[in-house]
Amino acid sequence: MSSSDSITTRWLTALSFRNISAVYIFIVIFATFSIVTPETFLQGGAWHTLLDAQAITAIAAIAVMIPLTTGSFNLAIGAEVGFASILVAVLQVKHDVPFVIAIPITLLVGALVGLVSGLIITKGRIDSFVATLGLSSILLAGLAWMSSSKQIIGLQDGFRDIAISTYFGITVPTYLMLLLAVVVWYVLERTPVGRRMYAAGYNPAGARLAGVNVVRLRVGALVAGGVIAAMAGVLLTSRLNTGEPTVGPGLLLPALTAVFLGSTQLAGGRFNVWGTVLAVYVLATGIKGLQLIGAPPWISDLFNGIALLCAVGLSQWEKTAARAGAVRRALPFTRQGPDDDAPSEQSPATVTR
Amino acid sequence: MTQGTPVAPAEGGSFGVPLLRAVEVVRDFPGLRALDGVSLEVASGEIVALVGHNGSGKSTLVKILAGVDTADAGRVELAELGGTTTELHVIHQDLGLVSELTAVENLKLAPDADRPRLAPNRRAREREHTRALISRFGDPFDVNVPISRLTPAQRSIIAIARALDGWKHERNILILDEPTEALHASEVDILFEAVRRTATAGAGVVFISHRLDEVLDLADRVVVLRNGSKVADLPTADVDHEALVTHVTGSQVHHRPDVARTRGVDEVALEIVGLTGPQVHGFDLTLRHGEIVGLAGVVGSGRETVPSLVFGAVSAAAESFRLVGRDYLSRSPRASVRRGMAFVAGDRATLGAVPAMNARENMTLPDLRPVTGRFGALRRRAERTAAGDLARRYDVRPPAPEQRFAQFSGGNQQKIVFAKWLRNEPRVLVLEEPTQGVDIGAKQFIYSEIDAAAERGMAVLVCSSDAKELVRLCDRVAVMRNGVVATELAGDRLTETALVVEGYGLASPSNSRGEEPRHVQ
Repeated sequence: MSSSDSITTRWLTALSFRNISAVYIFIVIFATFSIVTPETFLQGGAWHTLLDAQAITAIAAIAVMIPLTTGSFNLAIGAEVGFASILVAVLQVKHDVPFVIAIPITLLVGALVGLVSGLIITKGRIDSFVATLGLSSILLAGLAWMSSSKQIIGLQDGFRDIAISTYFGITVPTYLMLLLAVVVWYVLERTPVGRRMYAAGYNPAGARLAGVNVVRLRVGALVAGGVIAAMAGVLLTSRLNTGEPTVGPGLLLPALTAVFLGSTQLAGGRFNVWGTVLAVYVLATGIKGLQLIGAPPWISDLFNGIALLCAVGLSQWEKTAARAGAVRRALPFTRQGPDDDAPSEQSPATVTR
Repeated sequence: MTQGTPVAPAEGGSFGVPLLRAVEVVRDFPGLRALDGVSLEVASGEIVALVGHNGSGKSTLVKILAGVDTADAGRVELAELGGTTTELHVIHQDLGLVSELTAVENLKLAPDADRPRLAPNRRAREREHTRALISRFGDPFDVNVPISRLTPAQRSIIAIARALDGWKHERNILILDEPTEALHASEVDILFEAVRRTATAGAGVVFISHRLDEVLDLADRVVVLRNGSKVADLPTADVDHEALVTHVTGSQVHHRPDVARTRGVDEVALEIVGLTGPQVHGFDLTLRHGEIVGLAGVVGSGRETVPSLVFGAVSAAAESFRLVGRDYLSRSPRASVRRGMAFVAGDRATLGAVPAMNARENMTLPDLRPVTGRFGALRRRAERTAAGDLARRYDVRPPAPEQRFAQFSGGNQQKIVFAKWLRNEPRVLVLEEPTQGVDIGAKQFIYSEIDAAAERGMAVLVCSSDAKELVRLCDRVAVMRNGVVATELAGDRLTETALVVEGYGLASPSNSRGEEPRHVQ
C-alpha cells in the first residue's frame, strides 16, 4: 500500500459517517431549520447565547465522561453541579465570604464529594450506578436545606463578571470549557495515565494484574469529575447571577446524553472529549431549532431522552459492526479469522437443527 | 414419546448406521479457502475426534455441520431413521449454562411446549427427571444447588444432559467443542465416561480437543484438519501421540533438549516460607535464577491459588517472602510489576489482558515508562515501533499491533501476553496454565520462549494441570496436596505418571498409614 493511498484511506475513514455522524446530523439540522425558520434561526445573537450557555453543559458532560472512562457511572452529576451552585451563593450571601475564597471552597467541596463517591464505589464495593444515585439524593437534600428551595439573590459585585466577561466576543465559560477539553484530551489520549484509565474501564481485573492501580485511578477520576462539576456550578450561578436550586439537577440528562453520543464519534466507541463537546452542541442546536419553530419547553427532555437511547443503541450497533469489520480485514493476512476462538460471541451455546 | 432402540457398538471397529455425512465441503472466505473439500462421516455409537491448529478449519466445519454457516460447495446430510431426522447438538466450551440456577432449572430453561407458559412448575417431577437424566452419565450429584457450586465436570454433564433431553430417539449427533479445557485430569475421566455412555446408547459423537492424549484415550477415530484440508482419518488404534502431532503440525515433533540442566544453582530469586491464603496453608518454595519450577496438584490442592498469592493478586500472609534478597510481604500486582515480577494469568480473556484494547496497548500496559517522553506524553511513534518489533519477535499472526486483542486467535493472544511480560525482562516469571487453549504450533513457540527466558537467568514458576507440560518444561516440580507442598519431583523421578500418582497421594507412604501430612524438607 503506497503512502498516498493510506493517507486517502485515513481521510476517508476520518470523514466517514460512522466516524463523525454527529457533524452530518448537525449539518442536516442546521440546513433544515435555516430553511424552515431563517429569520430567527440564523440570527447571530441566538448563536452567541447557545455557545455560551452550552459551555456549562459541556463542562458538566466532561465531568461525567472522566469517571466513565474508568468504568464509573456518575448519576450524581446534576446534583453535584446544583449543590456547588447553591454553596457558592450561600457562602457569599449568608456567610459573607468573599467570592474569591468562596470559589476555592466550593471546588474543594466538589473534590470531597468525588472522593466520597469514589471510596463508596471502590472500598465499599457498591456499584457506581447505585452509589451515585444514593449520593445524588443526599446532595439534593443538602441543596434544598441550604437554599430552603428558594433562589438566592444578592451575590457580590464582581462575581457576575466571571461568566459574562468576554474576550474577542466570546465569554469566559467558553474559554474555560475549551481549555478544560484540551487538558482532559491531553491526559486521556496522550499520557500513560489516560491509557491506564481506559484499560481500567475496559477490564478492571485484567488491568489490575498488568500493574494498573485501578482503585486509585477510579477514585482520582471521580475527584477530578467532582471538581469540574463544582466549576460548572460556580459558572452557572455567576451566569444567572442567582443561586438557582432547580437548574443544576436538570443537567444530568443532557450531560449523559452528550457523553454517550460523543462516544460514537471520532474515536470508534471510546468515551472521548471532542466527541462529547461536539455532541453537546449538536443536541443543543436541535433543541434550539425545535423551540424556534414553536415546540413546547418539554421538547428538550423529549429530545434528550430519544437522543440518549439512539446514542447508546448506535454505540452497541457499532461494536458489532466493528467486530465484523475487523474479522473481515484480518482475513487476507491469516487463516484465523473464521476460526475465531470465541464462539460465545455470536453463536448460541446449543444449536439444534 | 417414542424411544429409539439403542444400537450397541459392533465389534471390530465397525459401528451402526451412518448418522451424519459431510461430502466434499468447501467454504471460501475473502482471500482464504477455509475448507477445501472436507468429507466426514459419523456413525451411530462412534466417537470421532476432530483435531487441528487454530485456523485449520475445525470451527468452520462445526459451524457448517450445525447449520450456522453454509458450505459453498459439497453437502451435509443427516440420516432419516424410522421417519425422524437425526438431530445435531453442539456444546461449546462455555457450556451456555446459567451458573446461578440449579441443575433442574438449567434443564428446564427451554419452555415446555405441552404446557401453558405461566402454569406452575412441577418441581418434584422435574427433579426426578433431572436425576434420571444425570444418572445415565455417571454418579448422581445434588441437582438442587446452583451449578456454580458443582465441579466443572458436573456442569459439563448437565450441558450434555440438556442437549440430550429433548431427543426423541438416541441416534443423534452430539458435537463437543473443547469440553475438557477447564477440567482437571480426574474430572476429564468423569466427562469421558458420560460421553462414552452417550455413544453406547447410539449417538454419534464429534469431539474437538487440543489435548491429543485425550483424543487417543476417548475417540474411536481421529480426523486431522490442516489448512482447510483433511490430512488424516484414522482409527485411534493405529496412531500414537507422536504420529498425531506430526499430522497436526505437518512436521516432526521437537523434543525437549535432553541436555542435563546445570543452570540455576546459586542465586535465589524467590524464597517463600509459610504462604497462607485461600486453599493454601503454609506453602514453601525456593526459586533460583535460571530455574523452571513447576507446580502440580489436583483441583482444590491449592495449586490454582498459589500463583495469584505469589504475585499479590489475592491478599495473602506469609512468614517470610523474599524477592531477589529483599523482604516483600505486602504485595500488590502493581508493586510486583515494579519489582520485576510478571504474571501470565490462566484466564486470558478476563485476567490476562484487556481484550477491548489493541495488541499494542496491551503489550505496553505493564510499563509505559520506556515510551513516555517530555511533558508526560506517550511517544506514539516509539510505541508503535516497539509494538511492531514485539509482534514480529514473538511471531504474532497477523503481525498487526493495531488489531484488537480479542480478534486474535487463542495462540496469538497468548503470544501477545508473553510479549507484554517478557518485554521488560522480569526477574521472576509466574505462569498459570501457559498453553491453555493454545494450538500446538504456538505451544512449541511458547515452550521455547520459556526455555530461553530461563537461559537468560529468569526464575520461572509454572503452574499447570497438564502433566506432560510440566515434564517438558521443568527442572523440578512441587506437587501440592491439601494446601501444602506434599513432595517435590526432579530428575528421573519427574515423570507424568509420578505427577499424577503424587497428585492424588496414591504412592505416599503416609497415605496408607492415615491422613497425617507428610513432612517435607
